[in-house]
Amino acid sequence: MLSYKERLFKAARGGSVDRPPCICPGGMMNAIEQDIMIKSGCAWPESHSNPDKMAELALSLYLAGGFENCGVPFCMTVEAEAMGAIVDMGDMDAEPHVVKSALNSTQDYAKLKNLDLNSGRVKTVLDAIKIIKQRDNTVPVIGNITGPISAAGQLVDMAKLLIEMRKSPETCHKFIELVTQNLIKFAAAQVEVGADVICIAEPSGTGEILGAELFRNFTVKYLNNILESLSEFKDIIKIVHICGRLKSVYNELANLKCDVFSMDSAVDLKLLHEYMPNHRLMGNVSTHTIGTMPEAKVIDLTQNAIARGADIVAPACGLPVSTPLDNIRGMVKAVRQYNLN
Amino acid sequence: MAATKEELLQRLSDCVLNMEDEEVIDVAKEYAAAGYDPLDGILKGLVAGINKASDLYEREEYFIPELLICSSAMYNALDVLRPLIPKEQSGGKCKVVIGVARGDTHDIGKNLVKIMLESANYEVIDLGRDVPVEDFVNTAKREGAKVIGLSTLMSTSMNNMAKVVEMLKSEGIKDQIKVIVGGGPISQSFADKIGADGYSVNAAEAVKLVDRLVGNAEPIPAA
Repeated sequence: MLSYKERLFKAARGGSVDRPPCICPGGMMNAIEQDIMIKSGCAWPESHSNPDKMAELALSLYLAGGFENCGVPFCMTVEAEAMGAIVDMGDMDAEPHVVKSALNSTQDYAKLKNLDLNSGRVKTVLDAIKIIKQRDNTVPVIGNITGPISAAGQLVDMAKLLIEMRKSPETCHKFIELVTQNLIKFAAAQVEVGADVICIAEPSGTGEILGAELFRNFTVKYLNNILESLSEFKDIIKIVHICGRLKSVYNELANLKCDVFSMDSAVDLKLLHEYMPNHRLMGNVSTHTIGTMPEAKVIDLTQNAIARGADIVAPACGLPVSTPLDNIRGMVKAVRQYNLN
Repeated sequence: MAATKEELLQRLSDCVLNMEDEEVIDVAKEYAAAGYDPLDGILKGLVAGINKASDLYEREEYFIPELLICSSAMYNALDVLRPLIPKEQSGGKCKVVIGVARGDTHDIGKNLVKIMLESANYEVIDLGRDVPVEDFVNTAKREGAKVIGLSTLMSTSMNNMAKVVEMLKSEGIKDQIKVIVGGGPISQSFADKIGADGYSVNAAEAVKLVDRLVGNAEPIPAA
């Protein structure tokens, strides 16, 4: 019998497994819902800033029959905050979110604050990973990184960033390079404290928003900078998630230097295998279904994702916090009972 | 030789379409100085250009960055032409309150809907992003708006969309104010579930949706 970690590593590297793993990375791809916040006594927003509560909340979901991993943090604002953006910590219903950018324009890139590994919520995340590893070393721990374009779009207003990508690409590149260097530092630190998997989620730098040319020149380039810089760590799995429809960028995706690619529910997973033959694919059970529909429907969609070739089964994006815990359990159970043959 | 009205309208349209967000200001000034009708300049020049840009967007030749520069070109020229329009002509079809529901600060989708509604002559009151539930309802009441438009990119602010509908119901004004929703995680079935009046997949469709909703609600007198 494979451990969850062994199964995930095999599946992510194309090895043969008895069944796909069923995970939800965390970060932008939120796994946390309110039943578990209440049961564990580690509610939001406190568990975003307290390492013991962050670890406890992630472990509680796992131990309650949730996904076959632990993932931290529970939002995508840690990096932006560490580089100078102002964050509203939200509440039990709302994730932390940036309310004020750090800079007015990408031209101000020299004023960007350096991410410090020893303070704030960056340190919270690193401490939480250590705590989880001490408590349970069979569960795969996923450390999450906000994608370089999405982080850049929190540090400078997103619309401004998109305009400057076209109008002043040189300064825009300098700015995103700097953001990327900081993200690399955070990702490497997560691995050093024990993260088994790094998942980079890019909800803003998508093909749908940017089109193929800017997607290639910005999103793929800087994602690959992060992925390549992590190549010194041999024993980790690298996942990239990109939101939205991918039609405009099908031909760019094979260039991503990750092991696993995760996609939205709007994407045809089976078709994507043709464009990404060397990647393992993860997804893509509708979060709207998991969040709001009867368990039977969730099981149905989960089985369908496996039938269409999901190497790793996961929600297609972040789960709503109002998701019933039973739907998550139902999804995991459906994967465990699936007969691959 | 002075340019004809048609030439200048074409140039206004082309500037918007071709992302000439600085040159468009000079063209608008030339158009205004020649004494041509400012409303024509907006509708037959700028709006014609932004409509062509949204066609390119639908055909996936333009994406969001291009559309944003086109719209900033449109706004730059609007700043020149709008003050020249006599008051009685400038009133919109009706008022629409728009914003990103609390829990989210992504406002690109909302901004595009705003631009499209404004170019279709609606008066848009933009509450910005991360907007509390009660602000939508109170502003719509105070301004006499017929429609509230809610946008989000994040699943966590979807609950707050439902709360806007609930608040309108509990105040007994749901029949007078239509609610439309849109954004990445939103679907028609979500709109149905929370009791919203409509869902739109993109900004251009949002205008048709609002046209249909306010047309059905009651005839709107031209302001």
